[in-house]
Amino acid sequence: MSRFTLRLAVLIAVLALVGAPFLLGAFTITLMNYVGIYALVAIGLALLTGVGGLVSFGQAAFVGLAAYSSAWVTALNGGSPWIGLLLGIVITCAVAFILGLITLRLQGHYLSLSTIAWGLAIGFLFGNVEGLGKHNGIASIPPISIGSVSLVESWQIYYLIWAVVCVVLLLVYNLLDSRIGRAMRALRGGNTLVESLGINVFWIKVTCFVFAAFLAALSGWLYAHLSRFISPTPFEPLMGIEYLMMAMVGGAGSPIGGVIGAAIVTLLKNFVQDYLHYIIPSGTGQLEVVAYAGLFIVFLQYARGGVVAWVQQYLPATAIPRPSQATPLARRDKPAAGTPLLKVDQAERRFGGLIAVNKVSFDVNAGEILGLIGPNGAGKSTMFNLLTGALQTNSGSITFAGKDITRTRQSNIAQAGIARTFQHVKLRPKMTLLDNVMLGAYPRTHTGLFSGLFRLNRAEEASARYDALQQLERVGLGDKPFELAGNLPLGNQRILEIARALAADPVLLVLDEPAAGLRRGEKQQLAALLKSLRDNDKLTILLVEHDMEFVMGLVDRLVVMDFGEKLIEGQPEAVREDPRVQEAYLGGTA
Amino acid sequence: MRRSLLLAATLLSGVVSTTFAHADIKVGFVTSLSGNGASIGIPYSKGIKAGQQYQSEVGGEKITVIELDDGADPSAATRNARKLVEEDKVDILIGTATAPSTIAMMAVAKELRVPMIAISPVKLDEGDGSNQWGVTMPQPPALMASVIADRMVRDGEKRIGYIGFADAWGDLVYEGAKAAEEAGKIEVLTNERYTRTDTSVTGQILKVLASKPDAVLLGGSATQGALPPLELAKRGYKGELYGLAALVNADFIRVGGKAVEGVKVSTGPIIVAEQLPEEHFAKKISMEFRDAYQKANGEPTTDGFSAYSFDAWVILVDAAERALKAEQPGTPAFREALKEEIFKGDEVAGVHGVYNFRKGNSYGVDERSLVVVKLVDGKWTYEP
Amino acid sequence: MDFDIASILAIDGLASGAIYVLIAIGTVLIFTVTRVVFIPFGDIAAFTALTLAALEMGRLPGTAGLVVVLAGMATLVEVVALLRNGRAHEIPGALLYYLALPLALVGVVWLSEPLYQSSMVLRILFSLILILPIAPLLDRIVYRPIADASVLMLLIVSMALHFALVGLGLLFFGPEGVRTEPMTDAIFEFGSIMITGQAALIMFAAVLFSGLLYLFFDFTLIGKSLRATAVNRSGARLMGIRPERSGTIAYIVGSLMAGVSGILIAPVNTMFYDSGFLLGLRAFVGAIIGGLVSYPGTAIGSLFVGVLESFASFQSSAFKDVIVFSLLIPILIWRSIVSVHTEEHDEE
Repeated sequence: MSRFTLRLAVLIAVLALVGAPFLLGAFTITLMNYVGIYALVAIGLALLTGVGGLVSFGQAAFVGLAAYSSAWVTALNGGSPWIGLLLGIVITCAVAFILGLITLRLQGHYLSLSTIAWGLAIGFLFGNVEGLGKHNGIASIPPISIGSVSLVESWQIYYLIWAVVCVVLLLVYNLLDSRIGRAMRALRGGNTLVESLGINVFWIKVTCFVFAAFLAALSGWLYAHLSRFISPTPFEPLMGIEYLMMAMVGGAGSPIGGVIGAAIVTLLKNFVQDYLHYIIPSGTGQLEVVAYAGLFIVFLQYARGGVVAWVQQYLPATAIPRPSQATPLARRDKPAAGTPLLKVDQAERRFGGLIAVNKVSFDVNAGEILGLIGPNGAGKSTMFNLLTGALQTNSGSITFAGKDITRTRQSNIAQAGIARTFQHVKLRPKMTLLDNVMLGAYPRTHTGLFSGLFRLNRAEEASARYDALQQLERVGLGDKPFELAGNLPLGNQRILEIARALAADPVLLVLDEPAAGLRRGEKQQLAALLKSLRDNDKLTILLVEHDMEFVMGLVDRLVVMDFGEKLIEGQPEAVREDPRVQEAYLGGTA
Repeated sequence: MRRSLLLAATLLSGVVSTTFAHADIKVGFVTSLSGNGASIGIPYSKGIKAGQQYQSEVGGEKITVIELDDGADPSAATRNARKLVEEDKVDILIGTATAPSTIAMMAVAKELRVPMIAISPVKLDEGDGSNQWGVTMPQPPALMASVIADRMVRDGEKRIGYIGFADAWGDLVYEGAKAAEEAGKIEVLTNERYTRTDTSVTGQILKVLASKPDAVLLGGSATQGALPPLELAKRGYKGELYGLAALVNADFIRVGGKAVEGVKVSTGPIIVAEQLPEEHFAKKISMEFRDAYQKANGEPTTDGFSAYSFDAWVILVDAAERALKAEQPGTPAFREALKEEIFKGDEVAGVHGVYNFRKGNSYGVDERSLVVVKLVDGKWTYEP
Repeated sequence: MDFDIASILAIDGLASGAIYVLIAIGTVLIFTVTRVVFIPFGDIAAFTALTLAALEMGRLPGTAGLVVVLAGMATLVEVVALLRNGRAHEIPGALLYYLALPLALVGVVWLSEPLYQSSMVLRILFSLILILPIAPLLDRIVYRPIADASVLMLLIVSMALHFALVGLGLLFFGPEGVRTEPMTDAIFEFGSIMITGQAALIMFAAVLFSGLLYLFFDFTLIGKSLRATAVNRSGARLMGIRPERSGTIAYIVGSLMAGVSGILIAPVNTMFYDSGFLLGLRAFVGAIIGGLVSYPGTAIGSLFVGVLESFASFQSSAFKDVIVFSLLIPILIWRSIVSVHTEEHDEE
């Protein structure tokens, strides 16, 4: 599918939406209104759950907060719906922000369970707080007015609802293709990688959470002024579960999937209501919910990825042009060769009774390649995790470029100029090579949420994209930038990690077994690349490696660890000759 | 992708809108066959069936009913109401089992200019009634509360403890009691609430008892309404119990057993129809209702709810008879005429009350629609 | 609040809590063995109560119909799966297991109507017999085809299943609630503290069945195989334990616990077809306090929820649920901090 066909499809879809009220029956438009309102929440959930991996059962509570805010302003205090909208958004986002601060540090299913908890708690509040109509709800909510036009009729508010949905879709797709959006997409699959890229995971989660709540608030506002009557029932957790179902049916992770899911669920319910009594004449009311839930379970059993993923496998991939040349991103000043860059002083790390790293000290000087070697279990990877901040030292200190980073947060260490790769490759397999590498450029770019939403970031985005392509070309993966990272062989995935690290324009590159899984020729290319990085880019490189041949020909100095302690450090030749190393590391036979 | 959605929607609307024009009077009936309104919604549904059995034609026109379930969800009730009007072109709406859903439906009825008979006690602010499309069948909770408060006064009870559902019904009863308090009749000491699914009301009952009430007013309904009396009996409470019509239910008696003996309830006369004097307005029609209900549903009546939807049918038939003289069913003019005729009904006797709906007030009953009954040996007995 | 009221509330709360303990332990058992957060557990408890009430009134309970329908569906699913995998020779076994066995149980109850008229013990026994096949059959129909899905996906499926069960419950049991005859009218007095026999019975049953479960785990081979499956599915498979079979046993044992709680709660509280949700959810809060792994933690957590609820309903009845569920958040934060090492398990 070319870009042109894609645009044509979007254009036709928009025209169809505009023409719908002239073509379709009044009740179909009513249904479409609900589809649009539910879709807004589902789009937020697609972002939160599908993209960010944060499953929320509580979105209905956010919808309710905004609906009640606006009803309070308009029906109870005679204000304008637009003030209601403003208050609704402010209150909803504020509540989401506070809840996010409290709960978003929770792990895995604890987080989802907490959403059930506050979803229930807020849901119960609506019917019990004084002055909000209690369980009888608030009636006589005025319609929204634009200028002198009052949106009373179904088809009038239809245009407002779907205009909002279209704008939101556009904004969300913009966002996903921006710096913050990429960070959100990286959330699924664990925090370690994301933090190591200089991304503050917690704030990205909070941003994602508040944005989804914002969409729920829009939905709640529209709901209040569409039905012009609200009561607690539609904002109870059962509805929150239904929103989640919509997002999952459409295909969590895809914003358009939110719209499709909302449409399928709403139409399916209507369909069941219309036709079930032909099959089973009595007791249809009870069976509707059974049929609906049953169909949903069958759906999840057979199409877990959702409709969008299912359709996509039959659609040709969209062709995207290669990034063209753009202004390069600013580069860091590298310290002069030979000056001390990293200083590890008496670093110690214990796991329970086991001492993984025992009072190890060594220095890394700018412009050198330092190899860290040792037998399995020597504590090399733990050492790496200590100096990149993925683990905390129990005692001792680590200084980088003159600053003490012993207690610094992982993402801040990454921003200071240390980029790393992992022993067990950590990539985002569902993202393209280019996007994976662009993740590395996060600390070098500055586009925020709003610039991302409104595409005010084009110049920086083009620069980052071009920079990423250059890094890919440099490591030899430049031929297919839009391939999914998960499709690469393992050896190339390691190389991709190096490209991602380079995109951060680091001062110190920390590589954990970069040559593992590479063929002989590829190893030589890698060695050549690393040397060129040292010589031409003035990069300092610290690497852990098992392949002695690879290490000996590459590094300037070696540090040998054994049983968590430093055994020796020095020139490769001297280390090779040392009897202690032969004893410990080479088993005394080399 | 949007296209396929539109296609689906078009197909769907095409299929369902293949209704052809005929002159039947179409009634759109929404009730809760599932969800937490089902215990009231299902009797409502049976009451409508009794109505159909009682009189299925008016002025030579057949009356057809299209019934939809709202699951006690106001959004679903709204959608159902719109569907009934926009797709099925019904002439009148009747619904539904919960107050919020009924209010939501009423807004649709007004917008789409279709008369609506509410069968839940909802109070509608209609101003002068110039654009009023709805009326409410049940006795206003305030009236029920006022009648029962009068009885409390007669019985010499002053200090009243209140415990009711944490829902719209519980709110209505409490407001009714507060209104009686403002009128200087009684003093309401507590406002304790519980949900229909609660496992225990011990905490609430202790608080009620701590206020040392003369009598306790129950704001629950049906089965779960028996929970407070049971707990009260367990905690040694010996005083009187009062309640409103929602307690009139076979399961309330079965579950409550000895603990609910002697409870006094203000309710429609249908409950004690057999004990009413012959000259009572509800006597004859109540007997007819009992027969029709038995025929339509294959079981005897046991509750007061089905009688509200039956009375809605009576109002509908009364108004339709006059409206048919002027207009054809299925037209906006007929809906308009039907609405106007509902407000012209004069002393229409139903099984719950004598109805005189007038613009500006959604209720159409007076004190005649309420009698006080007392539970004696598991049977409701008329207490004039 | 004086001491008398506090003691009444505490005992009432402990009795509610004991009910939650039984349901919560079943939830934890099923979660550890199958990774399914079985939300419909509360429904199983509610259905047991409704079954008992129907037997009391001399009616064949709706549960019989439910079991027949589910058995039919499970047989269909199993036979189709066997045919697809070319294991047609196993069909007779499947028919016996998924169709004949549940129907036989229903048949036994149906034929012995004169018996259960006379004895409460028999009625309770028959209620449990009828309720036991439901969860294993649901496991076969709903969860087995997606056994490899994520915990979250299974949780969402559980939610949907709960909706379906509530609908079926309304169909089979009707909208009205029930309350069964009390098992005992005894009242114990300790000074000013009064304990009803029913409350004592509930607490005793909770202790008894928790103890039995402990013995089952530690001293029977089946119990040990369940524990093995919970610790490591693939390891258990290597040792010749079939996780599917462990799952079925977990569902049966769990259903027994939920069934017992339903029997115990039926005389003290009105049960509806949809009472199960909040019941299950509150028990679930207790299970989370136990981290969804620890049985003693779960028991303490569930008792705590019961007591908290009792005091909250006295302080502010309208906000009772708000209080109980708000409290879950600090608990979750505490649990999340306690189990910090999960990070690497989240990866990819």
